[in-house]
Amino acid sequence: MNQFLEFTVLGIAIGACYAISATGLVVTYTTSGVFNFAHGAVGMIAAFCYWELLAHHVPVALSLVIILLIGGPVLGAFVERVFMRRMYGASAERPIMVTLGLLLILMGAAILIWSPTVTRTVSPLVSGTFPLFGVNLPWQDLIILIVAIVVAVALRFLFYSTRLGFALRAVVDDPDLLTMSGASPNAMSRTGWMMGFFLAALAGVLIAPTLGTGIQVDTLTLLVVNGYAAAVVGRLKNIPMTFVGGIVLGLLVTYFQNYAPQHLPQGIGAELTAVFPMVFLFIALVAMPSVRLRAVGRLSTIRIPRVAGGRESLAAGVLFIVAAIIFSLFFGPVFLSQGLSTVGPIAGQTMVYGIIALSLVLLTGYAGQVSLCQFAFMGIGAFCMGKVAGGGSLLGLVVAVAVCAAVGALIALPTIRLRGLYLALATFAFAEAVQLGLFADTRVYGNQGLNVNRIVLPGLSFESDHAEFMLVTVVFVLAALLVLAIRRSLFGRRLVAMNDSPAACATVGLNISFTKVAVFAISAGLAGLGGALWGTLQTTVGTTDFDIFSGVMFLLFLVVWSVRTVSGAFLAALTFAVFTNVQGLSKVEGLFAGGGIILIGRAANGILGLEWFADRIRLPWVKRTGTTLGAHDDITGPAQGDFGLLEGEARAAG
Amino acid sequence: MPPVDQDVSGPTDAPLPAAVTERLESDDAGAADGTPVLTVSEVAVRFGGVAALSAVNLTAMAGAVTGLIGPNGAGKTTLFNVISGLQQPDGGRVLFGRTNLAGISPHRRARMGIARTFQRLELFGTLTAGENVQVGLESAVKWWQWRHVRSSFPWRRGPLSAGGESAAVEDPGGPGSLAVTTADRLLAGVGLAGTSRNQASAMPTGSARMVELARALAIGPKLLLLDEPGSGLDDSESEALGTLLTRLAASGMAILLVEHDMDLVMRICDTIHVLDFGEVIASGSPDEVRADPAVQAAYLGAGATPGSAGGPGPDRADQEGAGS
Repeated sequence: MNQFLEFTVLGIAIGACYAISATGLVVTYTTSGVFNFAHGAVGMIAAFCYWELLAHHVPVALSLVIILLIGGPVLGAFVERVFMRRMYGASAERPIMVTLGLLLILMGAAILIWSPTVTRTVSPLVSGTFPLFGVNLPWQDLIILIVAIVVAVALRFLFYSTRLGFALRAVVDDPDLLTMSGASPNAMSRTGWMMGFFLAALAGVLIAPTLGTGIQVDTLTLLVVNGYAAAVVGRLKNIPMTFVGGIVLGLLVTYFQNYAPQHLPQGIGAELTAVFPMVFLFIALVAMPSVRLRAVGRLSTIRIPRVAGGRESLAAGVLFIVAAIIFSLFFGPVFLSQGLSTVGPIAGQTMVYGIIALSLVLLTGYAGQVSLCQFAFMGIGAFCMGKVAGGGSLLGLVVAVAVCAAVGALIALPTIRLRGLYLALATFAFAEAVQLGLFADTRVYGNQGLNVNRIVLPGLSFESDHAEFMLVTVVFVLAALLVLAIRRSLFGRRLVAMNDSPAACATVGLNISFTKVAVFAISAGLAGLGGALWGTLQTTVGTTDFDIFSGVMFLLFLVVWSVRTVSGAFLAALTFAVFTNVQGLSKVEGLFAGGGIILIGRAANGILGLEWFADRIRLPWVKRTGTTLGAHDDITGPAQGDFGLLEGEARAAG
Repeated sequence: MPPVDQDVSGPTDAPLPAAVTERLESDDAGAADGTPVLTVSEVAVRFGGVAALSAVNLTAMAGAVTGLIGPNGAGKTTLFNVISGLQQPDGGRVLFGRTNLAGISPHRRARMGIARTFQRLELFGTLTAGENVQVGLESAVKWWQWRHVRSSFPWRRGPLSAGGESAAVEDPGGPGSLAVTTADRLLAGVGLAGTSRNQASAMPTGSARMVELARALAIGPKLLLLDEPGSGLDDSESEALGTLLTRLAASGMAILLVEHDMDLVMRICDTIHVLDFGEVIASGSPDEVRADPAVQAAYLGAGATPGSAGGPGPDRADQEGAGS
């Protein structure tokens, strides 16, 4: 019983941290419409700064003032002004990408500044314990509780009893109306970001001392991320419900952590505890009421990269393979070998990452659905490849694709009626759950990593590095042809149409839910194929190969180049492979990905879609026109003349 | 990109593709002219405390153009959303033929033959005009059908028959060609011949509205809901639109038209319903409606009415509903 009380107080304290963090998310979301994926990273940075200040013997009170009252709000205002204001009115997935970029920048900077090898422990604000009903409870828990109550009461007062709060609530309902009544939506949104960053920093500083083993960039970021679940319980707008969600989650996690492992087989308990918050998030998402279809009321005016026709893409594919053969002969077997130089790994990995990128071109580029779990599918694919028939068989490839497609459909099915942001959150929850619960378990990949043999067919062996390189190249080209064929097909038109206007899709008789699940499954299957080939290329796969943040980084590289084109997929894969393999560059990979996405701003087609790029540099495989042609490129007639006119106009304008 | 100068000559007299008319002919619900295709009874929609629609009753007959007019915010678009399934009504029912539409999802309603356009354009902006129409034409193709796969390989298609559509129907030579030629013919039917390859978002508003109309026609509707199709059209285009709608109605389609261009409405509508503050305040022939004093007060005339002075208008209600 005493123990129970102890766990309850601890659970409420942890839950209060989640609640504070989640409230910050909600405030930012309601005032600016942007869900800040970097929220967890802000809390993490605050905790590290706090540690740093204490290490330099700055008094606790002064440190708190510097971090909470100056650092957090100033950073929040800066981020809003520089990164976010340009995003208003952009498409729905753009703010997701930019805040993810911010997340990577903050994490990358933290790793550069605070080396992960050093152990850093943050002492509680007040150490020691106090007795309650015969149990000694830590003062820190009580302080967290008091702070949470103060925050809740203060927010309640702010929103319902002050002019500012009234304006903050109004901006959510109708920004235009607010402008007319004299307040500035920009000022409101800036206030929202400043408050959000303050609350994130507060949560980070409060939660840091509860980590007995010291603060780490990854764990701390993910810990604050648990606040996502609480925010979703509050449906991103209801602050009291958000608090309830946070406390319930905190209690459940603590009880589960302390009671469940005794009743579960050895080793499973720890994983389940780690996965628990993400399962909670997923359930909260599924329980969300479905979003009503409604007219978008705006036309996307972006110029769309042309889709290559059938013959054209086939010819380009053959050329690509020929180029790869010449490349491999030029560098020779020594350079291409996986162990002897960096050229070999980069070349091979480019092709495999290219397949993953193609799965994202299909899902995010064409259908507009953001997935943050493609690397998780990659890991599952590699696992299937290694486990089926001893690895190295074609059956493994088939199983990898089938399993990933099925899991993808299962993930998409319950969340498909929700908006893009919630699907992105669900994939994030899934990716983290897979990473913490599955990949981290030594029984999955083993202590030394899982062995995956190279494919050997009767009369055809891909055991040499050279043959393996050619295999992944050919598969990449086939995957690219498949993605382009899908885009040109009836299904592809539906994907693009669904992205442009779901309401119009429904009113011409298309079942959007089915289309979404289908494209998610195909994309997951493709990522699984990439993962299986990754296994054969590396021959061993380990726990760290499919890190969730690497996956986010990869997605951002793709968006920076161009998420809508096959060329973008290739260039993103190449860049990513170079960054991960070259010593020194891998450290700043996150900074580059995040900086790139922020620089590219609203340009929906990435670097390859930029007008100055398309005007000045004409890559042979990137042709720019204003229209998509693939579906009927053998029509002749008056349309030709008009099309010429359109192209002429576009060029004159550019 | 500046608007591309296009030759918008207005709807032509070209015969309509079979895709548009075949469903009307092979149809049981609302086949004969003068039978009600759509019956709206006692439909009510509330956004928060504001009634956007309160107990609306109206019918649309096969073979007739039914006008729906009223001031901004009267609830016309909300009613369209209810009929097409984008908005759940808080009360009342909508009958399509003799089928109650309650609980039927928007895409099933479309497959039953309810097509619509939107007041604010809802085109597939990244597709071409032709592809916009194609999406409508192909919406009945199921995922397991071979056409899905065939459509991925355009070079496998047979030669296109440039001639009459009957040739295309008898000798499809692949599904793509049929869809493409039918799409071209539909676009030509609304006066956009030769524009099928233009990216939809780059088209001028008037043309874009016509693409939306062609896309709606592509599903072979029995009931066509048009939300201000005439805005953005000049006089000659608007006249051509009137001719086209009359012809469509003559082929047996029921058309419900929301429009602010009074000349157009008075000229082509057989029946007009006037909506104000979520209620039908008058119904009848154009002449009857024009003579109705309540209508003159609320809409046609400039006179103020007691109802328009106080309280939040339904216009606000529409926006709030969309924003929540």
